[in-house]
Amino acid sequence: MLQLKNIFRWYNSGVNRAFVLRDISLTIEQGEFVSIMGPSGSGKSTLLHVLGMMDEPNEGEYSFLGENVLKIKEKQRAELYKKHIGFVFQAYHLIDELTVYENIETPLLYHGIGSSERKSMVADILDRFNIVGKKDLFPNQLSGGQQQLVGIARAIITKPNLILADEPTGNLNSKQGQEIMELFKTLNEEGVTIIQVTHSEKNATYGSRIIELLDGRIER
Amino acid sequence: MIQIYFKIAWRNLMKRKFYALVSILGLSVGITFTLLIGTYIWGELQVNADLKNVENQYLIQSKWKKPDIGLEITTLAPLAKTLKENYPNLVKNYYGFEGYTSTISNGDRVFREDIQIGDATLLNMYGFQLLYGDSKTALNQPYTMVISSEQAIKYFGKLDCLGKSLTIESNAGQKKSFMITGVLGKVNTNSVMNLLSDTRIPILMSFESSKFWGIEKYFAWNNPYNVGYVELRNGVNPATVAQVMTKLIKANAPENISTNLQAYLVPMKDVYLEANNGIVKKTIFTLLFVALFILVMAIVNFINMSIGNSVTRLKEIGVRKMLGSEKGQLIRQFLAESILISLFSLLISLILYEVFQPFFGEMLHKKIPSLLTVSSYFYLFAVLFAVLIGLLSGIYPAFILSNLPSIDSLKGKLKSIKENIFFRRLLIVSQFTIALFVFVGAFVISKQVNYFFNKDLGYQKEAVVTLSVPRDWSPVGVDKMERIRDELAKLKEVSQVSLSYDIPAGHGGNNNAFYKMGQDSTQAVYIQTITTDEKYADTYQIPMVAGAYFQRKQESFQAGKIVLNETGIKTLGFKNPTEAIGKEIRIHYYPQPFTIVGVTKDFHIASMHKAISPLVFMNVRDFPFFRYLSFKIQPNNLAQSLSSIEQKWRVLMPGSAFEYTFIDDTLQKLYQSEIQLKKASQVATILSIIIVLLGILGMVSMSIARRTKELGIRKVLGASSISIVMLFLKEFIILVVIAIAISFPLGIISMNHWLTTYAYRIQLDWQTFLTVALGFSLIIAIFVFLQTFKTALENPIKSLKTE
Repeated sequence: MLQLKNIFRWYNSGVNRAFVLRDISLTIEQGEFVSIMGPSGSGKSTLLHVLGMMDEPNEGEYSFLGENVLKIKEKQRAELYKKHIGFVFQAYHLIDELTVYENIETPLLYHGIGSSERKSMVADILDRFNIVGKKDLFPNQLSGGQQQLVGIARAIITKPNLILADEPTGNLNSKQGQEIMELFKTLNEEGVTIIQVTHSEKNATYGSRIIELLDGRIER
Repeated sequence: MIQIYFKIAWRNLMKRKFYALVSILGLSVGITFTLLIGTYIWGELQVNADLKNVENQYLIQSKWKKPDIGLEITTLAPLAKTLKENYPNLVKNYYGFEGYTSTISNGDRVFREDIQIGDATLLNMYGFQLLYGDSKTALNQPYTMVISSEQAIKYFGKLDCLGKSLTIESNAGQKKSFMITGVLGKVNTNSVMNLLSDTRIPILMSFESSKFWGIEKYFAWNNPYNVGYVELRNGVNPATVAQVMTKLIKANAPENISTNLQAYLVPMKDVYLEANNGIVKKTIFTLLFVALFILVMAIVNFINMSIGNSVTRLKEIGVRKMLGSEKGQLIRQFLAESILISLFSLLISLILYEVFQPFFGEMLHKKIPSLLTVSSYFYLFAVLFAVLIGLLSGIYPAFILSNLPSIDSLKGKLKSIKENIFFRRLLIVSQFTIALFVFVGAFVISKQVNYFFNKDLGYQKEAVVTLSVPRDWSPVGVDKMERIRDELAKLKEVSQVSLSYDIPAGHGGNNNAFYKMGQDSTQAVYIQTITTDEKYADTYQIPMVAGAYFQRKQESFQAGKIVLNETGIKTLGFKNPTEAIGKEIRIHYYPQPFTIVGVTKDFHIASMHKAISPLVFMNVRDFPFFRYLSFKIQPNNLAQSLSSIEQKWRVLMPGSAFEYTFIDDTLQKLYQSEIQLKKASQVATILSIIIVLLGILGMVSMSIARRTKELGIRKVLGASSISIVMLFLKEFIILVVIAIAISFPLGIISMNHWLTTYAYRIQLDWQTFLTVALGFSLIIAIFVFLQTFKTALENPIKSLKTE
């Protein structure tokens, strides 16, 4: 599905280059559930951002569904990730001014989907995640677990074939975390590719493959 | 989608009520002012617009080589008519008139009215509608007239007064009944009926009636004081007509006129805007600029506040980008917000408009329509305007915010938008610059206007009242009026009375050609001439430089005496006043010479635009023309004095109007446009300071919110309250200093330019600028102090805890 070749990412600090990613080469197939692990500062999040096309490497190649991502135009790239990728964040990043319903609806607006279709899609997701009763609440009226549920609902409503999750359970208690991971597993079984960054060994076991990073290199 | 943009915009505004309110208030000040100015300008542009066939309508104006021979807006009496008769293929229609004032009465309803004696073509040529009467024939018969609806109500208490009569007094003291053959409907301001006074509609009658005043003989080529209009045929070039006019003038007018006069056509569309050196046009441009300034300042506030507030929006922007929002969609989102704010401002503006509309109307001497009477286009325009303002003020912040890097904003790395600080300071400096510039302008203009009234005018204007008197312009009439004058002078409230043709700050008399004995008549100089009695100088306390004002007390009247002012003496070529006394001079068309018996000091009979011009006083007994009685009264009880004058007047002149004016008020009228400018600039100053303060209010409170922790730490480290206040103040003071450095030179240049239009003017001094600089800085300092002092006093632990 996607392939990284000799990816480097660095920042200039004074005269030195501070490397965040060093020579990363990686292939991920459709339907995998990958966990990226490693200590703080090992480059996990940066790798995820590169995969999500939110950050650009300084060197290397990245092809996504056969397209060379780093060569195409900004607009096409935006189109690409809009169509295929959903994001889940540690801090949920819901929009405070919008209700649960509207938060979930927002990506559909950006996809230009018609009003009646939007309604039924949002209704389906609310139903599936069992949060119909909360649809008119604002994010600050929800618990952390519920907020993350909304975050995931928002990420998958556009039916992406790749979900990128940056420590999705980091702010949750263990029971909530477990529920979220179960949800990911189900999604994965339905065919969605999932790449998550995590600190937790336990969460990593839900995945089919673990990539360990240390100082910007793949250890295993 | 649009609906959703607005929903989110609404929630964002609700969340930041304070900032939204400050932005809305600022914008509504700007929008209100623009709407008021806009309707005023629209009204001014509509003058003459509804005249029939206005594209082909022209006024004949005159350019004189020697400026004092005739007026600019008048022409030779028979010119318009002759054009039509001799060149029917060029000129389709014509109208000419002669302006008059007379006492008109219906029983005990007695008023002085302007009368327009002119051609019968008037109503049809311009398409004026009559409520009653036939517009085709209304002006055909002699001794008939057409009056306005207001006059109908005033004299008869009802509109339908066809066939009724009003009594008119001639200049020879006779009275005659005129039949009403038409009542005008609503007439919008136009330069046919309102050429001389834009508030009153004159009584209209045809030239046939001029015999009553004995002025039909003045309908001749040597009279340059008539007004003439022509309607050209389609496609006729006004320049062609100008050539024809030159030909006609050469063939018909006397030589002293034909060699000096060049007649030209001014389109009726422009007459009003261009009159009096284009005063209306200048006013329009000035107000337009001021409105623009104020709007820019309000928009600056808005931009500053949106960018300052953007910190709270960073996360939202990041998330939206992650979810696949394109830049354009984000921009639209932010624009929706600014348009919403602008539309709210419009709502408040409409209320403010209604509240301030009477005040503005008074300031501009024009009726500004109320919201209930404006056309629906006004609302359409207002909404479009508000949307435009919303777009203008939102576009920059929208671009800045939508361009922020998405990851950094998500991670919270971006605490503020550093690159914009320079730009924001630039905005504030430009705002301060405008405010200071307007402030300087207002200050200088009021100083100059005060100078008009407080400068030594060369005569005493305090407690002088003038009364328009009936005109019996004959030796008998003068005798009668002088007897009345002497009767009135006996009143204990009155110290002096004088009879004269003109008064200081009045309309100005006629010009006559004068030359010294022994000179050729072609060397004559044209000098403004007014007729007065011998008490004029005493009443106005005009000092004499040499000789006496016609005659000393106890002396009796001797014909053929003349008095000049100092400049007049110089113009005639005398070396000094004493030399002129006893010398004889001659006037065109008069066989006998006149002896100079007195020279007055120069005084300001006209406005201070021009240097004092030469002036000749002739005795009203030599030339029986008079219009006013001037009373010098006891200043301590004006009302009492006026009522005794009125009582006595009613006894002496039963059945004539008692309409008086204080010289002070006449003077106000003379400087009407300057007073208007003064008020407008003061309003502009107040508005710009309000907007500046609103801006500071927003910025300081944002700054306080952002720096709560910093302030807490500083205080824990021992900073005094004052030093905390100074922390905020310092930044503004630097900006004020920069703004001063830019605005003062601009102010000096433009104000000096404005002042050069006056022959008598104040000098710009450093005190003026110091006062403005200190005043402005002080207002800002006090405001910042009030806002920050509370924070400075707060317990630092509290502010540290909030983090």
